[in-house]
Amino acid sequence: MRRIGLNMLLALSLIGAAEAHRLDEYLQATMIEVKPDGIDVEIHLTPGVAMLPVLMAVIDPDRDGRISPAEERAYVRRVAREVELRVDGVPAPLSFIESNFPALEAMREGLGTIAVKLRTARNGHELRFENRHLPQVSAYLVNCLAAPSDGLVVSRQKRDEAQRSIEFEYSFSAGAGPRPRPAWTALEPFWPAAIGMLLLARMSVLIYRAKRGERAAKISSQSLGT
Amino acid sequence: MAKTTFLWSSTSTFLAAILCCGLAPAQSSSSVASKIVASANSFLNSLDDGQRSKVLFEFNDAAQRTKWSNLPTTMVPRAGLKMGDLSGPQRKAAMDLLAATLSKRGYEKVLAIVEGDEALKIASGGRGAMFGRDLFYISILGKPSVKDPWMLQFGGHHLALNITMVGLDGILTPSLTAAQPAKYTLDGKTVRPLGAENDKAFALVNALDEGQRKQAILNYKVADLVLGPGQDGKTIQPEGIKCSAMNASQQAMLLELVGEWAGIVNEQAAAARMVEIKANLSGTWFAWSGPTTNGMPAYYRIQGPTLVIEYAPQPLGGDPTMHIHTIYRDPTNDYGKKLIGH
Repeated sequence: MRRIGLNMLLALSLIGAAEAHRLDEYLQATMIEVKPDGIDVEIHLTPGVAMLPVLMAVIDPDRDGRISPAEERAYVRRVAREVELRVDGVPAPLSFIESNFPALEAMREGLGTIAVKLRTARNGHELRFENRHLPQVSAYLVNCLAAPSDGLVVSRQKRDEAQRSIEFEYSFSAGAGPRPRPAWTALEPFWPAAIGMLLLARMSVLIYRAKRGERAAKISSQSLGT
Repeated sequence: MAKTTFLWSSTSTFLAAILCCGLAPAQSSSSVASKIVASANSFLNSLDDGQRSKVLFEFNDAAQRTKWSNLPTTMVPRAGLKMGDLSGPQRKAAMDLLAATLSKRGYEKVLAIVEGDEALKIASGGRGAMFGRDLFYISILGKPSVKDPWMLQFGGHHLALNITMVGLDGILTPSLTAAQPAKYTLDGKTVRPLGAENDKAFALVNALDEGQRKQAILNYKVADLVLGPGQDGKTIQPEGIKCSAMNASQQAMLLELVGEWAGIVNEQAAAARMVEIKANLSGTWFAWSGPTTNGMPAYYRIQGPTLVIEYAPQPLGGDPTMHIHTIYRDPTNDYGKKLIGH
């Protein structure tokens, strides 16, 4: 945290040194694509010239001035951890699809964009997305793509003032709806409880059997007069 | 006191003119197309073989077609011929081609943006090497023809014109206009390249009643263009107030505002485009983010079935009202895809 703070000071001291490009913000532009078979979340992250030192403190922990493939993967994991997608009020796990890192030189000039694409197979009727990644230094855009060919209908869009979050309702017009899900997936939120109950039942059976075995052994030993 | 020019600010006259042009005989469009092709050939004939090979691309060169940006050419290199590398007569031929392709008002707007970049170069002193009128590029995709499709591109920092010619049609989408500084002095006159785009939008939002403004004004900040460079083929969910909820006078104001982009291309092409936009007006939306007092920075978006316009003040440089980015798209026909099918 201290290192990020120092880098913030360095970054702020650079503001004013350039005039034509994004400077003191980390622009995080998210496009949400709702499809009949799932939801794609594509985040474009563009550091301003003065923000690069701050970002490098996050992405390049070994401070060697370059972003290794392992550091890329770690950063993408962090971004994925710090955004949340909820479908019908239930967290929808986002899996990694692809990412692209620009040349460091491009980012130094304020025009490099890191692209991260995530996906969930979950679908429903209410979506909420929130981005909690680097809020101190970021400006946000978040939008839902229109897909009239899929029959997507979106309503009741709501965002917070900074566009860190968006929520909306959606549906697919007749003939273009989400693929029917097996009935058992509707119980998804209750799975942990159901698994817990099954385990409990299994343990009870095992305890009962053990006790019955003990009792049988006792009776047997009594009948043998031992 | 400096005289302020709004670059054809009396666009109600312009709008009436282009709507009338829609009734003009087909021969008129044909002669415009012939003039554009003749200007293109004059420009190409003014070049040597090496220059011609640099300026010409295959019409289906998708990489070149989408190689445009708001950023300086030193950062996002453009292909084609650089204005600064042309001789005086070659440069004049290039600008003549642009003038033939655009309306008078559109050509003046383009010159104002280019000269604004020259002003930025001077104001930036030693850091100005990435700006200026010499760093704009021209390229031609395909062979200029009144029958076969071809494309003219002209752009650099804060400007990207992508004009697809398909027979008598001239399609200007996608194109980007921007300005920094958004106000400067040239020959004693104050120039505002995107002044009308600003003033007409403020006039429109202030012409809405309280209930309409409540619908139009978004409750969140918009930091940048949503569908800027690199966002080809995307359409977002519309927001704001639907034009069907506006009265006739407000709708006319919106059409005048749209004319600031649609009217960049020559009058015949602009007239056809305005007819299309007007036909889709009931399904068009107007959204606003920011204060409603002219002189303050505010973002707006106009979005319809065949139209996306965004106007986004930028914080870079200190005063967002002095640094504007705009984008103009037709999600159904960017690069003429509806007519060409690519």
